[in-house]
Amino acid sequence: MLQHTCFIKESQRYPDDFKPKHVFAVAPGFFPHWDADFAHELAAEFRLPVDRRIKKLSRGQLSSVGIIVGLAARAPITIFDEPYLGLDAIARQAFYDRLLADYAAHPRTVILSTHLIDEVADLLEHALVIDNGRILIDSPVDALRSQAATIAGPAEAVEQAVTGLEVIHRERLGGFISATVTGDTEAAVRRARAAGLEVGPVSLQQLIIRQTGGTPTEHEEVTR
Amino acid sequence: MTTTTTPAPLTLAPRPLSTRVAIVVRLLFANPWTAIYTPLLILGIVFLMNMAIWGIVRASIPPEGEMAPSFNGGVLFLFIYMLVVAVQSVNQAFPLALGYGSTRRDFVLGFGVFALILSLGYSVLLVAGSLLERATGGWGIGHSFFTTDELWRTEWWEGFTLSMIAFLLFFSIGAATASVYVRWKTLGMYAFWGGLVFLGIGGAALVTLLGAWGQVGAFFVWAGVLGSAAWSLILTALCWLAAWAILRRATPSQG
Repeated sequence: MLQHTCFIKESQRYPDDFKPKHVFAVAPGFFPHWDADFAHELAAEFRLPVDRRIKKLSRGQLSSVGIIVGLAARAPITIFDEPYLGLDAIARQAFYDRLLADYAAHPRTVILSTHLIDEVADLLEHALVIDNGRILIDSPVDALRSQAATIAGPAEAVEQAVTGLEVIHRERLGGFISATVTGDTEAAVRRARAAGLEVGPVSLQQLIIRQTGGTPTEHEEVTR
Repeated sequence: MTTTTTPAPLTLAPRPLSTRVAIVVRLLFANPWTAIYTPLLILGIVFLMNMAIWGIVRASIPPEGEMAPSFNGGVLFLFIYMLVVAVQSVNQAFPLALGYGSTRRDFVLGFGVFALILSLGYSVLLVAGSLLERATGGWGIGHSFFTTDELWRTEWWEGFTLSMIAFLLFFSIGAATASVYVRWKTLGMYAFWGGLVFLGIGGAALVTLLGAWGQVGAFFVWAGVLGSAAWSLILTALCWLAAWAILRRATPSQG
């Protein structure tokens, strides 16, 4: 199992005398599906100085070494443990785009742990939320989303639409209300639409915050 | 690169142990400066400086004067250097190898091959240097740099064996020490060195109490240089076993 796994962790240690080029030189041995051209392309995209000592790299550059290895390895099981520490928004977006594109071309299991839920929400197929060692949520992301909806509009009409459903969050603004409901939302959504109310999805992050009761947690997301 | 539109499934064929061990060896040699170029460079510089000093001394004594052959330890730094290489390799390459899917067993075996290759290479170098030195009459000026010991003057294979045994011993000590650090960190180092000092003093005290220093000396005389070295193989083997046992349950450090 281990030989098909690529584990990229935020705190991966590299030998002090290594440069990124050394890492990329040995990686094909560990990962038979390694794509060297892809790795070079990624290094250019992330503007990684491949000939600089790893010790001298910035936090973000160090993270991109891990990301490049994780992507180019094409290991059947790839685990990213918060791989983007120190990366700016542009580089993170580049990572998500590359991950999705490469996953489409070479399907494999990717496990991604993150604290930035909404950033990766669109990538995920299956989400696990772990709080203090216990699994709080273990569900396909689509199912998770369909369990909740936000209905907004004039207070009276909204209250009417959500009767019989569990309202986990209410936001009032003058005569308007925005209510987040869970449970069997399908009928309510239909009723709300018919009444001309605004129906929106709930962001995964919001959903998780609500479901965990707002306590700080460690989130683990899985995409396949 | 394939140009097919349907993605090919990733193969899950298990890879033989030899392949996995070879990967670790390659990882340890990935930056050849550390274990090969730098020590060779130092050796070259030390050699040239040594020659120059010898030349200066030789020139300042009258031609009919004789210089006693002296013990020259110029090459001995290699052994200490390899000990450091062993420590760094285990300490720094182990976390990377594990992160990239090597097992602990792959790593220990790979490190063993790495140590064997280096021991062999440097032993050949030392013996070749020694043979060349004798063939050229001490580089033309009667200087002995590689021929550090009477032993080297007898048979080449004796020098080679001694060198091999010594390199392997230094590698194994380095590996065992580093594995203690990888597993137990600073606390482990305190316990390890404390324990070593305790054992050393305790052993010396025991020998003194028993009045057995004569016997200890007699043992080394009896075993001879090569024999004593051969006995160190036990220590080498113990260090390897210890390194393996310790690394088996070790978790790479964070950061």
